[in-house]
Amino acid sequence: MVLNGNLSELSRLTAEVARFCGEHRLGDEVEYDLSLVMEELFVNSVTHGGCKGIEGAAEFELSLVAGGISLEYADRGKPFDPTQAPIPDITAPLAERPDGGLGIHLMRQIMCDIEYHRVDGWNRTRMRRPIPAEGT
Amino acid sequence: MEPDSDAPAHPGGGDMIESKEETRGAWVVVAVKGRADAEAADQLEATLRAAVGQHSKVAADFSALDYISSAGLRAVLQAARTAQMTAVEFAVCGMSASVKKVFDMSGMHHVLTIHGELPC
Repeated sequence: MVLNGNLSELSRLTAEVARFCGEHRLGDEVEYDLSLVMEELFVNSVTHGGCKGIEGAAEFELSLVAGGISLEYADRGKPFDPTQAPIPDITAPLAERPDGGLGIHLMRQIMCDIEYHRVDGWNRTRMRRPIPAEGT
Repeated sequence: MEPDSDAPAHPGGGDMIESKEETRGAWVVVAVKGRADAEAADQLEATLRAAVGQHSKVAADFSALDYISSAGLRAVLQAARTAQMTAVEFAVCGMSASVKKVFDMSGMHHVLTIHGELPC
């Protein structure tokens, strides 16, 4: 799915995640997690990555793989490697708690096998939402 | 229902989240319904901060909140900061398991008062 660099695209993104999860009977928890991770990646691209207002600024693809769901996300924003982003201190007191970095922190909590490459002006990130095999 | 705030309307039309204020004993309960995503975060922040600015005990009832992302969490944190600076009691209550999971992963229990049920 191709997304323009506008936050109003979130509703289309969410609908596509719901469609994919419904088609594959993945359940509400997986749908929530994928919606959340997708939102965090896309909002980051639009608000911090310079993708705001750019047509076809980002694209993503979901697929079933062994051990879970693969998410491939790409954007045309400035280089940003989510695997190297600083970890926010989530135990800091309210007044000192940083506002940034929480979205990427959530992504790292939910997803595994996160890989990042910068290719031809695109940030390309691949990751997996693990789903334990039935009976384990 | 319109929130008691000056948040701009969603450009696509209706509000992304709905809110309703109700007084219960010493507490003012702000019930929030819908999706607290990056598009709705400003509206959520304005709604909660307006309540915190007007009352001494504010409970955010999130039992009908379907979804929250980091943008929604930041809105809640901003309201909590306002409450702390003005000595207002602020609590978040009644979250669904899926919303609570996001709060837990973000360490919100370190900085917020969280109740399973409403305090009133």
